[in-house]
Amino acid sequence: MYDVVIRGGLVVDGSGEAGVLADVAIAGGKIAEIGQGLAAGRREIDAAGRVVAPGFIDPHTHFDVQLLWDGAAKPALEHGVTSIVPGNCSLSLAPLKAADRKAVVGMFQQIEEMPPEAFTIAFDWTWEDFAGYRDAIAKTLSVNVAPLVGHSVIRLFVMGPAAQERTAQPGEVAAMQDLLRECLDAGAVGLSTSFVDVDETGRPVPSRYADSAELDALCAVLGEFGRMLQVVPEFYATDITIARIDQLAELSLRHKIPTTFSPLFDSRGNADNAPRAIARVEEQFARGARVWPQMQTRPIDLSFSLLRPSLFFARLPRWVRVLRQPLAERIAALGDPETSARMIEDAGPDGGLAMFGSLVLRGGDAAPAELTGQTLAQIAEARGQGCARTLIDLSLEHGLDVAFLAASLGHEDTDRIGPMLAHPLVHIGASDGGAHLASFATYGDTGYLFSEFVRKGHLSLEAAVKKITSDTAEIWGLQNRGRLAPGWAADVVVFGADALARGDERPVFDMPGGGMRYTRDARGVDTVLVNGEVAYADGAYTDARSGVICT
Amino acid sequence: MTDGEAIILDAVVAPGHDGAAELLVTLRHPNGGVETVALDGETGFHLMKSCGVSSAAELPGQPWRRILEGL
Amino acid sequence: MSLTVQRRFVTPMADETLEQLAGRAMPDTPLPEATTLIQGWNLHIFAMRKPRGLMLGSDVVFVEPPLP
Repeated sequence: MYDVVIRGGLVVDGSGEAGVLADVAIAGGKIAEIGQGLAAGRREIDAAGRVVAPGFIDPHTHFDVQLLWDGAAKPALEHGVTSIVPGNCSLSLAPLKAADRKAVVGMFQQIEEMPPEAFTIAFDWTWEDFAGYRDAIAKTLSVNVAPLVGHSVIRLFVMGPAAQERTAQPGEVAAMQDLLRECLDAGAVGLSTSFVDVDETGRPVPSRYADSAELDALCAVLGEFGRMLQVVPEFYATDITIARIDQLAELSLRHKIPTTFSPLFDSRGNADNAPRAIARVEEQFARGARVWPQMQTRPIDLSFSLLRPSLFFARLPRWVRVLRQPLAERIAALGDPETSARMIEDAGPDGGLAMFGSLVLRGGDAAPAELTGQTLAQIAEARGQGCARTLIDLSLEHGLDVAFLAASLGHEDTDRIGPMLAHPLVHIGASDGGAHLASFATYGDTGYLFSEFVRKGHLSLEAAVKKITSDTAEIWGLQNRGRLAPGWAADVVVFGADALARGDERPVFDMPGGGMRYTRDARGVDTVLVNGEVAYADGAYTDARSGVICT
Repeated sequence: MTDGEAIILDAVVAPGHDGAAELLVTLRHPNGGVETVALDGETGFHLMKSCGVSSAAELPGQPWRRILEGL
Repeated sequence: MSLTVQRRFVTPMADETLEQLAGRAMPDTPLPEATTLIQGWNLHIFAMRKPRGLMLGSDVVFVEPPLP
């Protein structure tokens, strides 16, 4: 008798081949057999009318801290994600000396927007080395974790405060090489570095002080293990992105390693950006280099409040003049009937309906919770006001601490992005799961892939599954994951092909100390198994702790 | 505007990676090369102030060096 | 497949100043002009960075304008 049999689903096995109606039998945490009419299992899961696929793999996350109290990396698991790669963008929680914790906490707070309590009440610091961190999270994992080690923390470990002041001496580079080797031996799947990120004071993170010789030396160590280099390039400027692609290609060729950069965005304001970058990637792959651009599926939303001047208003001169004033003067100006009347004139003859009506009230701030998710047009109608007047008055009523969201203003053209996501050299990723907690939800990109790109015909169901399962596992060298085949790890997601999607963004207060983050629920995911155990089913997490450190 | 220096061709608002609004400024260099740079809120507003304009729509035609002036 | 020509760049050497880099990268151009040109071609360093103009060992510094 098998442990589990998932019965009668459309098995899309991650290979890209057409799905077949079959049963999937699981024993000992691995796929035992796939076929029709298989023998009984101790647990039977009816998948009739559903898709049965390998669990999704998210290659760009920042769940490093959250994993210390939440081994499911919620809500990633309920979206069908069974394996995650934390430690991106040069930052991991190990190796880390006790004396350097404060510095790294500041960097994490800057990038992840994690509340301070997350580092003081949610867990005990029990480690300094990478193996210690690995063991600290491994005890309660529901999701598989393939951790990167961050260049910034390696640098900090070896150089102390000088890591954010200067290039390294040869002896220091050698020490970093030894430390990286130790981390890779302890289960790290690669090294992450960043050319962009800053700490909480705005200072460049340590990895940015490294010269090319240092990065080359570290990549030589990656070459000993055949492991990944992940980088964050200056993604906002095409020529720089291309220069980084060329640098990565040289490192890839010299040390025989895979490299990946993230993110790569498409934008109406810079329409050549992604096509030029992808063309360069094609040229470099043709030379034998491996430089995988990571592209996210979700569009980019723009958010703002009147607490700080936002360029959202850059084409409205009267708004710009008011919003650039110091806070007290700004509040006074917004409250002045004459001034606000002129601002409303700026917003058009419809009172700002066309310009502001589709803005969504985000919630999680000083605005009444019942308004969360409503459009400004809806709120304005209920108040009997125009949209611009409502934006001003509602903000004033709550000390300007009212956040608005303009949805899908960047990376939003499905007809352009669909073919890019389908491109064989484009790696679907860059979700940033577990980061930017108080800015936007970084969850549900896999669901969005199906609702926006599969169901609108840009990728087949099978191609989409392959992209976020076996392709990802192969790119990262994750053994025996990403496919449904006998002997492979039984990471499985059962979902409705026409239902898989992401829910609306909403604020929740589930971070340590009651801290807020934006999240999205999953839609259409029925069951998720991790290494053969049901970790999520029927809308609820189970007690399964079957996740592992995977390499 | 003088010959021999880059000028602003266009300036549009777009969301940055972090959800904040950025100003995508397209520059044309004297050699005919064109590039787009993303300015954050602080630098974008500084550029508008430096150019003496209150709308991004008035930026085209301004010299690139206004971006650096007074920073 | 051969690589298409892309915009040329250098990376700063340890403790190198803008003037030193400009002199190294554009030896045939008068220094004041070279430094101004380098600044204009690298707004990611000279406009966007804090502190402004801080050059780092990992930087890409363009030594010519965008290709036409």
